Amino acid sequence: MKTVFSFALKYKWPIAIALVLMLVELGVELVQPLVIQRIIDDGILQGDSGTVWLWGGVMAGLAFAAFFSGVTNSYFAAHAAHSFGFDLRVALFKKIQSFTMSTFLRFPQSGLLTRMTSDITMVMNVLYMSLRIMLRAPLAAAGALIMSFIVNPKLALFLMIGVPFLVVFLVFMVRKGVALFGKVQRRLDRVNRVVQENLQAVRLVKAYLRGAYESSRFSKVADALRSDTVSAVRLMELVLPVLLFVMNASLLAVLWFGASQVRAGDAQVGEVVAIVNYALRMTGSFSMFSFIIVAYSRAKASADRMEEILLADGGSEEAERGSGEMPAGDLRFDHVSFKYEGSDKGVLHGVSFHVRPGEKLAIMGATGAGKSTLLNLIPRFFDPTEGRILIDGRDIAGWPLKDLRDAIGYVPQQSMLFTGSIHENLGWGDPEAGLDELEEAARKAQIHDSVERFPDQYGTRVGQKGVNLSGGQKQRLSIARALVRRPSILILDDSTSALDVKTEAALWEALEKERATMLVVTQKVATAAGADRVLLMDEGRVAGYGTHEELLGQSELYRNIVESQAQHEGEVDGDA
Amino acid sequence: MPEFLKRPFGYEPILTKGDLKKPAHKKGERPDNWKGVLLRIWKLVDEQRALLVTVLALVVVSSGLSILGPYLVGHIVDNYIVAGRFGGFGKMVAALLAVYFGLSVSMYLQSFWMIGISQQAVYKMRAGLFSHFQRLPVKFFDRRQHGELMSRMTNDIENVSQTLNNSFIQVFSSVLTLVGTVVVMLSLSPLLTLLTMTIIPVMFIAVRWVTRRTGRLYKAQQKAVGELNGMIEESVSGQRIVKAFSQEDRVMEEFIEKGENLRRTGFWALTYAGFIPKVMNLLNNGAFAIVAGVGGILALRGDGIVTIGTIVIFTEYARQFTRPLNDLANQFNTVLSAIAGAERVFAIMDEPEERDDAVEYGDLALRGEVEFHDVSFGYDPEKSGYQAKNISFRVRPGEAAAFVGATGAGKTTVMQLLARFYDANEGQILIDGIPITDLPRKTLRSQMAFVLQDPFLFEASVMENIRYGRLDATDEEVIRAAKEANAHDFIMKLDDGYEEVLSADGGEISQGQKQLLSIARALVADPVLLLLDEATSSIDTVTEMKIQEALERLMEGRTSFIIAHRLNTVRQADLIFVMQDGRLVESGPQQELIESRGLYYQMLKGDEIGGDEEE
Repeated sequence: MKTVFSFALKYKWPIAIALVLMLVELGVELVQPLVIQRIIDDGILQGDSGTVWLWGGVMAGLAFAAFFSGVTNSYFAAHAAHSFGFDLRVALFKKIQSFTMSTFLRFPQSGLLTRMTSDITMVMNVLYMSLRIMLRAPLAAAGALIMSFIVNPKLALFLMIGVPFLVVFLVFMVRKGVALFGKVQRRLDRVNRVVQENLQAVRLVKAYLRGAYESSRFSKVADALRSDTVSAVRLMELVLPVLLFVMNASLLAVLWFGASQVRAGDAQVGEVVAIVNYALRMTGSFSMFSFIIVAYSRAKASADRMEEILLADGGSEEAERGSGEMPAGDLRFDHVSFKYEGSDKGVLHGVSFHVRPGEKLAIMGATGAGKSTLLNLIPRFFDPTEGRILIDGRDIAGWPLKDLRDAIGYVPQQSMLFTGSIHENLGWGDPEAGLDELEEAARKAQIHDSVERFPDQYGTRVGQKGVNLSGGQKQRLSIARALVRRPSILILDDSTSALDVKTEAALWEALEKERATMLVVTQKVATAAGADRVLLMDEGRVAGYGTHEELLGQSELYRNIVESQAQHEGEVDGDA
Repeated sequence: MPEFLKRPFGYEPILTKGDLKKPAHKKGERPDNWKGVLLRIWKLVDEQRALLVTVLALVVVSSGLSILGPYLVGHIVDNYIVAGRFGGFGKMVAALLAVYFGLSVSMYLQSFWMIGISQQAVYKMRAGLFSHFQRLPVKFFDRRQHGELMSRMTNDIENVSQTLNNSFIQVFSSVLTLVGTVVVMLSLSPLLTLLTMTIIPVMFIAVRWVTRRTGRLYKAQQKAVGELNGMIEESVSGQRIVKAFSQEDRVMEEFIEKGENLRRTGFWALTYAGFIPKVMNLLNNGAFAIVAGVGGILALRGDGIVTIGTIVIFTEYARQFTRPLNDLANQFNTVLSAIAGAERVFAIMDEPEERDDAVEYGDLALRGEVEFHDVSFGYDPEKSGYQAKNISFRVRPGEAAAFVGATGAGKTTVMQLLARFYDANEGQILIDGIPITDLPRKTLRSQMAFVLQDPFLFEASVMENIRYGRLDATDEEVIRAAKEANAHDFIMKLDDGYEEVLSADGGEISQGQKQLLSIARALVADPVLLLLDEATSSIDTVTEMKIQEALERLMEGRTSFIIAHRLNTVRQADLIFVMQDGRLVESGPQQELIESRGLYYQMLKGDEIGGDEEE
């Protein structure tokens, strides 16, 4: 809670001004009855129109002062609240951006989304309310209490009999409320998650006719959200009735003992009446008080959730830029082992190989052999658990991340494009690249002609995740995006699987001319054969490393792969 | 106007004078319809009418008791303490205690039930929106960002939820208090009451002035939240790419832009909404001035219409009169923000569902004959032309047809038409001689399995993921399918085997393994029509060979459609369709195509040429 609300400090001036303005309003409210009294007692009752006008003028002046303060307060309070929310949101997002992939994967995506919207709204509301109404209730209650002590301390003490109980009660309620509202927010995460999954899988759901099944799956999480919300709010709704009852019982005590004191001559009737009046005024501010308690519990629960992110340690990376010098692209894996956080099964075991600048390494192996994981270590999405990765002889663990990643063109297995134009998507590779550079990259990636045929060409809008493009078009755009960077190391993670043979051949031919060191995961022997060296992976280990010919001689596994493809080639030949 | 007032804290104004003059809706957009939206929310609440009536009755009780309490206190003070009488004092105190107890209990019970009612309504709204998602055509989702739609499910509905929890009771009790106060005021002095009422038109104008703005601003705010959520969702899903390309700054920039937009709309909405209590306060004072001033003059005339005592009491009531009005005006804003949220939810619910008027052939068992007759289709024909042009072919039951061609040639489009994700713009698709549009989607899809290009796995166990193909499949059937798809071995290597829960972006499963699971899912489904869209593209060829047999068995006796680039997958097909630029350029058995020396032959040769080079 502290970390989150420290973000409000930046707005201490608007906050202070808003508070002062609120106090002005409050002051006017307190003075007003006195003025009214004057108008009635000295003016109307005396038939003295001069006094009426005088105090009437004072009253009008005060009213407009309060109005002016109130309206100005609106601006300052709204500004402070929304700026606080904005800063908090930016800080959260920045923190998330700085996470390493393993830290990032610790938090479900849906939870990150909820935190940046719903949770922020909760804490923002509390700040706004504090600047608008919150002080009013405690101040009014405190004022009334002080006044009753001035009138008759002994009787006023009876107003306090319930206080110890109330303190315990409220502390208990807040604690419980924080826990329950925290749970509600987590339920909201789940709702978010199921919706997200459903949207991502819309075709699958339709193809398998699972709309009803999905609805029932959703009903479960939505119903859990409902029932947890109900229990949380129901619990918190206890606050007001209990507060009221305790206060009213205290009032009865004042009446009871007041009566006997009056009888004993220890107290004046007027004193009892006055304290009863003050007590009634206090109860009047209670509904706001309970409102505050609820809002505070909610905000605390949300703030705690945000702090899980803001204070998450160990897992951030500084995306700093160093000299910006491009490496030549000499890449060496030196006994690299890796396992994912929280898993005890290694994915890579002592992998070593060496690729010289400008060379092309093909990586082959069965699905799940660790090919993609291996590639993920090069841009340092993850760090090896053991061993070192060296580029140009330097351990990449010591590189400024931006320099490292700037040197790499990464094409993932699943093409991922973003909402925006094709131009914008290619610009991800290099924001400074001109259209001619983008076109050149697109030409090499064999996508330029297709783009030219779109009605809006490079201005064509791509929907989320590139839904309106074919699989092969997405893959080629992904490749073009990587080429725009003119990388020293180009990583292609089975990124040509949706390309037809002819297009793929043209692509390889164009890539031949790139000076980049290439790491290519492929299933195709033909592609592997065209590489300088082949790295054969099997269950996280290197099962073979050498040229196509060498492996044909050494590795049975490799021969199996070659056969699996030669076989059908042979049949096609036979058919022909 | 000074700069600071025009752009306080540098916030650009959102609503211009012109905006406010215009009707709130743009051309083609749904008109502002508060009444309609409220009515729809009401319908959800009204389903629990009995409980609602109980709540309202309890509000009446608690309002009564909250007036009775102070009255009894006054009674006790006057008749016992002041009078010094103590007979029956204890009884009176006990009665008062009972009143207070009743007050607290009735207050709690009304909230207790109201929460139940409102959350049930909110649940209904959520479930309704989700079910509607399931009935919307694929086309709808193509145009929308996931995060934006998700925001409607969470942020927009949360607005409604907050409002329903509180506003209902508040509004009702405010109205009650208002009516009560007016009755008392009328009995005291109809003339002064009328005078007090003169503030109502002013109040009306002021509230209207504010809500005309906040209504629009809340809408803009919810839209901004949605867009921000859309942006966040996308960048979070694509985090790997963001990192790989060091685009953190760029993403941050976009985030700040969207966040600024939300801050700006939020600032204005909150600022204007904040005016209401202030205006009410001022009017409150105005009411006092009217009563005191006009009443004073009348009283001084001394004709007895208004006495000074009446004025004194009346000023107090005039204050009481504005308090519930103030509450109501505040609630009005809360309700507006709920409407802004609800409207966005209903806007989706009003999107036309996928039409399914076909009632015939409800449980028709398909044989699996598929015929395309001069079919043309474009996702957005006016803008981007046709992705499939004049396609005609026929596949007999049990045959396997393979589609080949360059990427973007329209192969996937044909599959999607067959699955009726989209409907053809021209021409006709016949299944077993029945136009596909006459066939209920249920009939079609329940007998079809589609392995999609991008395999998708849910955040659920491996078992559940495979069982998605047929929900009543037993564990044994699932495992058998997994074995056939060659997925069993790697599944057993997972920490929890079939019970391993897969994570959204987990590294525990490779892309190829995802494809194996998708194939297992199709095997479990046991369909008549089988659609494989690059189902094995990420699977290594050794594994592919191993599952080849299973695939062949899967295709046996079913009509299958296969998209593949690998020729060993294609060669098993009875028919081969070659597509180019959305047209079907060649079709026939493999042998014929090779003999005719056409495009297919060229493609095969291309492959062979590649092979020559490697040797």
